Amino acid sequence: MRLFAHGIGGAKDLPIPAEYAIAGACAALAVSFTVLALAWRTPRFNTGDRRPRPAPGWVADMVDGPWFAPLLRVLGFAFFLYVAAAAVFGKDLLINPFFGVFFVLLWVGIVPMSLFFGPFYKAISPVRTINLLLAKLSGSDPEVGLRDYPRWLGHWPAAVGLFAFVWFELVYPFSTELGPARLWCAAYVGVMLIGGAVFGNRFFENADPFEVYSTLVSRLSVWGRDGDGNLVVRSPLANLDLTPVRPGLLAVCSVLLGSTAFDSFKDSSTWLTTIQSTDIDTDWLNLAALLGFVLAVGILFGAATMMTGIHDDHHRLSLPGQFAHSLVPIIVGYVVAHYLSYLVEVGQQTVIYLSDPFSTGANLLGTGNRAVNYWLSNHPTFLALTKVGGVITGHVVAVIAAHDRAVKLLPKRHQLTGQLSLLVVMVGFTIGGLYLLFGA
Amino acid sequence: MPRRRRWVAPAAALIVLTGALLAGCASAEDDSSPADPATSQESTPTDGGTGSPSAEPQGTVVDITFSGDSVTPNGERIDAEVGEPLTLDITADKPGELHVHSTPEQEVAYDAGTSTHQVTFDQPGIVDIESHHLDKVVVQVEVR
Repeated sequence: MRLFAHGIGGAKDLPIPAEYAIAGACAALAVSFTVLALAWRTPRFNTGDRRPRPAPGWVADMVDGPWFAPLLRVLGFAFFLYVAAAAVFGKDLLINPFFGVFFVLLWVGIVPMSLFFGPFYKAISPVRTINLLLAKLSGSDPEVGLRDYPRWLGHWPAAVGLFAFVWFELVYPFSTELGPARLWCAAYVGVMLIGGAVFGNRFFENADPFEVYSTLVSRLSVWGRDGDGNLVVRSPLANLDLTPVRPGLLAVCSVLLGSTAFDSFKDSSTWLTTIQSTDIDTDWLNLAALLGFVLAVGILFGAATMMTGIHDDHHRLSLPGQFAHSLVPIIVGYVVAHYLSYLVEVGQQTVIYLSDPFSTGANLLGTGNRAVNYWLSNHPTFLALTKVGGVITGHVVAVIAAHDRAVKLLPKRHQLTGQLSLLVVMVGFTIGGLYLLFGA
Repeated sequence: MPRRRRWVAPAAALIVLTGALLAGCASAEDDSSPADPATSQESTPTDGGTGSPSAEPQGTVVDITFSGDSVTPNGERIDAEVGEPLTLDITADKPGELHVHSTPEQEVAYDAGTSTHQVTFDQPGIVDIESHHLDKVVVQVEVR
């Protein structure tokens, strides 16, 4: 039996009221042009004239202490084994906590965890842990593999992996059946272990879809490292500015943003009545729409960044990658808007289910008797305000990040006009996102 | 600096303009607000459903007709309220089940012929009512 409309979770959020969407759109427009008109004219972030502030001593001592990293790794791996046991030995029921962990705690939870605590998935990554154990056993160094990771490959494998995930979650009709979900995870672990063996840890940094997502979002946290590897505290904007530009970065961002928008779109009554009225296979239509959203984000953004005057020695084709980091705040804003209630409510449900991994009525963790708190769903006005606030905050941060990059890269006389096309596209994304929140 | 000043004026104008627009939009919205609880209680859904002719308020009524591989309505939206019963008047050529993806989930089993069922919702949200047999969402209920 297939669950046509849903993965897991019951009711979905109400549309936001039209007034909120319009107010949000107007705010986005106003802020954008204010930034363009009034913001600084010389680059602000990481210009080298100010040293980043060291993290508080006790935090640095703890994080770089001898037990912190291993402890996180052990906890992460224990949790992985616990959930893997539920996936392998548990029943094919929606109360199997594996589904909630995979689709909610991991996929959505990765954003707040990375936003608050830095590169979270890297610290607990089970595939890094297995790679480390294998290296320990064979007496080799987990950092290096048989070959160097090719520079041109960059984040492209992560973009493909992320697309495979969103296809599985949003398009594939049997994603909430145990067999296919388990197979997806097994394929992920398999590919990651082979990649790790061949290219070393550099592979995870570039190609692990979850680690790339997490590390990208962690660029909006306050945590960073200085040139000597010391833990420092930076403004999220300065941190974001340090995002390494690798091939495929824009592809990763496009998949993340396009898929979130598609998730909203596919629940709209318009799309639903359309695909239910045609004879064309629904799954192919959904795949085409998902791909369309992703490509639209990438192409619009890429084209907009290139529509400017540049220095003679500057490659125009390098511009999309050099601006791609400014999509990250927009992604985070959308994730807040689309998945906040899902994370809070289905997340609680998952923690409850985690007590009973094999659906035997057990209460292993003592959470089995808890009830989900539906405060968020019962306060739709607060929820709608939070959503609009998330989208607008993301937009503002994105516009500022792009502005600073523009004054860093573009010739003086093109700095204002060169930003216009990108600004228009960003406003378009934000208004489009608000429209989806209102209409879907 | 002259370059900078040139941009300030249009930006300021734009901010004022958007502010005015915003105020205009918001007030226009107020006039035609569909979400007035007093009217929506007895309002008839626009797509596929017909309203109850009786005078007593009993929430929304939806007519659902199954025939072969098709069903009407076909994924349209209807409004309902938290705690108010939603009445499903089902006409079907064979027995089946509707899955109500509310929180918590509910199921409605129906027989061939005509039958009337009621579901209520505990909390706001969009609830899909789905026929798994046909693989189709019949209606989406906006519960407020």
